[in-house]
Amino acid sequence: MTKVIMVDIERCLACKSCEIACAVAHSQAKVLEEAIAESPKPRKRVTVEAAGEFGVPIQCRHCEAPLCIEICPTGAIQRQSEESPVVVDKDLCIGCKLCMLICPFGVLQIGPEGRAIIKCDMCLERMEEGQEPACVEACPTKALRLVSLQEVTKPKRMAAAKQLVKEIEMKESKNEGK
Amino acid sequence: MKRIVIIGGSAAGMMAAIAAARQNLNAEVTVITQDSMPYRRPAIPALIAGYITRPADAKIFSAGTLAQHNVKLICPAEATNIVPESKIISILSNGKEEKLSYDAMVIATGAYPLIPEISGCDKKGICTFTTYEAAAEIIETAKSANSAVVIGAGFIALEIAEALMHKGLDVYFNVRSRILRKLLEPEVSEFLTKKFEQKGLKMLTGEAISEIGGANSVEYVMHKGKKIDTTLVIMGAGVRPNVALAEKCGIELGTTGAIKVDNFLETSVKDIYVAGDCAESPDLATGRFVYMPVGSVGACAGKIAGANAAGANQKTDGFLRAQADQILGLQIFSIGHSTTTAGELGLKVRVYDLDAPQSAIKNRGADLFDVAKVLTDSDDRIVGAQLVAKKHGSQFAWQLYKAVLETEDRKEFLQRFNSPRMRVAEALVHALKSTVVVETVGAEKALTLADEANRKNTSW
Repeated sequence: MTKVIMVDIERCLACKSCEIACAVAHSQAKVLEEAIAESPKPRKRVTVEAAGEFGVPIQCRHCEAPLCIEICPTGAIQRQSEESPVVVDKDLCIGCKLCMLICPFGVLQIGPEGRAIIKCDMCLERMEEGQEPACVEACPTKALRLVSLQEVTKPKRMAAAKQLVKEIEMKESKNEGK
Repeated sequence: MKRIVIIGGSAAGMMAAIAAARQNLNAEVTVITQDSMPYRRPAIPALIAGYITRPADAKIFSAGTLAQHNVKLICPAEATNIVPESKIISILSNGKEEKLSYDAMVIATGAYPLIPEISGCDKKGICTFTTYEAAAEIIETAKSANSAVVIGAGFIALEIAEALMHKGLDVYFNVRSRILRKLLEPEVSEFLTKKFEQKGLKMLTGEAISEIGGANSVEYVMHKGKKIDTTLVIMGAGVRPNVALAEKCGIELGTTGAIKVDNFLETSVKDIYVAGDCAESPDLATGRFVYMPVGSVGACAGKIAGANAAGANQKTDGFLRAQADQILGLQIFSIGHSTTTAGELGLKVRVYDLDAPQSAIKNRGADLFDVAKVLTDSDDRIVGAQLVAKKHGSQFAWQLYKAVLETEDRKEFLQRFNSPRMRVAEALVHALKSTVVVETVGAEKALTLADEANRKNTSW
């Protein structure tokens, strides 16, 4: 996966803007005002869970070795390539719910449309148009960000480098003091 | 070119068709089905609840998917006879009889609903729900009904009850013994019964309905001598295999009444394979052949039967029954054997309560799940597991599934399951492996917490 949705739980206010944006993005109209009147009701794929003092938005992790793909008896859950998100082919889903059973993160749900499974698809349609996933765009505090793995590791490397330099400088200043 | 004919257009049949087409790219695969189009049967409760209104909303294995795999569909059509000696099948389509010859065949004729022997079973207003036609009848009858009685014991019967409650009907749920008897331990059933009653489902347990009364259509039912007024009765008391066609052409049946198979899912007649609710399937824990009418098992069996019909030589050691559902706000998981199914096979099991592992997050321990059980065989290896949770039950269910699939030693499993350090580490490893993380801050914090707890040896 080239880009991932990163969650900074310390920034999450649990305002659930991501949930609404997600449901709207997966509605037919794609506009909140019309989406709320649709039948079946548009459903969210991300849930903000309360955990201790934090709110944690949880959606599909798009695992590298997804158990859901492994267990699906009809091959309805699939990914185009190693880089692409894990998606459900509604046409093949028989609604047996085995993936709900096996997913360690509990992010698959029974959808309203004939009980086929629904899950986060990283907003494939939006991404193809060059937009960010709806939840990322909607987050007011930027607790959700679409980042490449580079962007996750880079600040850490920089922090480590700074720390190292700081220690060296401290040592040197001590030596000079002598 | 190998001609493969599949009878039946639901999960098992269609998976067989697709598997056969994938196995042998030159094969000519034809599916014969009685339905006007293949559809998702678990969608029927959603249709009844009104979440969807057209059968087309639940269609499955669409024309596009079939065309992609070069599968031909003849529907609606009925297979009337098979002559295995000359490898010819007769079908009735639009009133016209046709004959097709085949090289290999997969029978996936499914099952029909069992109607229990209750007096007054022929009245109007008594419905089943295995097909769209039956579901349409329920919807029509429910329009004028104030209450309904659902007779049944399985997940789908409960889903129907929930769907009718959603429509505003007073729903009575009748089971002779207890709900989900085959899938859950008595204690778990009892817990669910209590919860469902709180949600407004009226339980009629302990005894079957003794009479369905009324002139031409249903007016009341009798349960334990009490009269309950209703105009709609739904029969969900399980299914029986459709074996008439197979029997007619001399295919052997097993002791369960379903079609007998071997580990290659071939029947007693050469080149005729079978999958799904019409057939027996090998049980993973014992290797014995049992009747397991479950969609996922059917689809898995369909894949093997289809591939073998197309020339593969796939053997199965057995299927693991795993079921999950969400009913009236509770997630229910049942994996592998219960005392009931184990008892039927003469397998001695012990049942253990499973305590919630301590959570990596403070104050979360108590409500992680409501009830959980593991069942072990005489070697203390896990052969079954059950779990009920309000939400996110799957974070434990996948571990239970793994334990049952690998028949893990109970003590080893508990060690893994209960260790907070392990749980966090495992989650981390999983997350790192999946390259999708994510809460770096949170995970680090959790690890530090876990370390501290380990050092102090306190619970958190």
